[in-house]
Amino acid sequence: MLCIWETAAGLELLGPNSRLIFPSLEAVMEAFVRNFVKGYAGLTLWVYVGNSMLLLLEGMMTGVILAFLFSGLSMISSIFHAVYNLIISVFDLLPGVALLPVVIIVFGVKPGVIVFLVVHAVVWPMSRNLLDGFKAVTRIYVEAGENIGLHGMSLLLGIYLPASVSYIISGLKVGWARAWRGLISAEMIFGVAAMPGIGLFINQMRTNLKNAEMYATLLVIVIIGLVVQYGIFAPIENNTVKKWGMSK
Amino acid sequence: MNVEKTVLEISNLTKTYADQNASTHVLENVSLKIREKEFVCILGPSGCGKTTLLRCIAGFESYEGQILVEGEPKFRPGIDRIMVFQDFNQLFPWKTVKKNIQYPLRLQGIKDKKTLAEISYMALKKVKLLEYKAYYPFQLSGGMKQRVAVAKALALKAKIILMDEPFAALDAMSRRDLQNELLKIAETENSTFIFVTHNIQEAIILGSRIMVFQKGGEAVYDEKNPILKPAGPASDGYGELWERLKKALYCEAPVKTERELVL
Repeated sequence: MLCIWETAAGLELLGPNSRLIFPSLEAVMEAFVRNFVKGYAGLTLWVYVGNSMLLLLEGMMTGVILAFLFSGLSMISSIFHAVYNLIISVFDLLPGVALLPVVIIVFGVKPGVIVFLVVHAVVWPMSRNLLDGFKAVTRIYVEAGENIGLHGMSLLLGIYLPASVSYIISGLKVGWARAWRGLISAEMIFGVAAMPGIGLFINQMRTNLKNAEMYATLLVIVIIGLVVQYGIFAPIENNTVKKWGMSK
Repeated sequence: MNVEKTVLEISNLTKTYADQNASTHVLENVSLKIREKEFVCILGPSGCGKTTLLRCIAGFESYEGQILVEGEPKFRPGIDRIMVFQDFNQLFPWKTVKKNIQYPLRLQGIKDKKTLAEISYMALKKVKLLEYKAYYPFQLSGGMKQRVAVAKALALKAKIILMDEPFAALDAMSRRDLQNELLKIAETENSTFIFVTHNIQEAIILGSRIMVFQKGGEAVYDEKNPILKPAGPASDGYGELWERLKKALYCEAPVKTERELVL
């Protein structure tokens, strides 16, 4: 792929602006370093990344907690379960970006809007997975749990949660990916001056025709994604479902 | 011998499964008494209600009638009646063998680590699995998992241990080993065992009392096991008892008619 990239740019296969569309790999690497050292308008990319991660973390935590809360309530009340199922089906279909105008009218242009979108991205897939996971818990675990005195909340925490850990992890993965994409999209549509994030940085690079910097920032996004996958999710899996023989 | 105390008393137990247009009495007016420290083996063909009876005693099913444990009516599951299922996957896969045994004890309020370690040590020793205490269930064979399930019931000092064909899915050798161990354990423990099986030999080897159920949970045979332990095909009277049980099991005894009610 890198070869095609270089050949297309070097031979000007895409016309005279080929180098603009595909800056040389060297230029992208230089821009990568420059982003972190110099940045834009006095702020290095570290600041942008930090802001994005902060908003993301806040949104993800809130989303996950809400998902656990509502899914837990769904296990206790069948009416709540029916209503919540419908709510998930409805809202999971709505792209966060499509909600943006409404959210901005209600909240104004604040970092809170981005957090809201992250929560929206996380809470529905996470809830869906939790509910599916709870439903898939083998009858025998539930009965063995009841047999040793668990019921209600203690049964939920003692049996349903650990028995559906593989669903929880997969919900977290989907939630994280959606949140990350939603966050960047939202930041590209509007930047919050108080908390400029990675999306805004890409947009600023675009406005200034700094294409090498733009590509370099995309690289950063991919790297962060990989770090989360291998640095966070993989160890969690290794210490739970894999250790317990519940997943290969 | 002391006057044996009745630990379990079931009167007029009826369990009906109903769907849209029919209802089936799985158990109909079952009444029985089980005395403390008895090892009751219940034999019966498929669908005679023996598993349902265990599930009712365990509190997993709703029912009509009365189930009294030491005089107290029981409707919900409880640690005084621990079930050992036939399914090997009854241990919690997210806990080690040791934790599987300690977890129910913790729920009973035993928090002291030393006490917990002692109890789980003793229980695992009884089922000869001491060296496997740090293993996760998926690392154990089917027989080992069943031993852990038995150890869990022993550690809890359950009044009644309910066993639903726990060794049925094991190979013949493991089954014999486990039967022998269970026999030794039952002799030293204060628990009462109710053991459901479809294997006549198993019932003779283990039971101090043998019952044979027919459809609807009707006990067509209910007698003390006359054969001295350890029992085996060479024991006195084994062949005769085996024949009698076989007759009772294969409907050569009076059997009640079909009881399906069409609503």
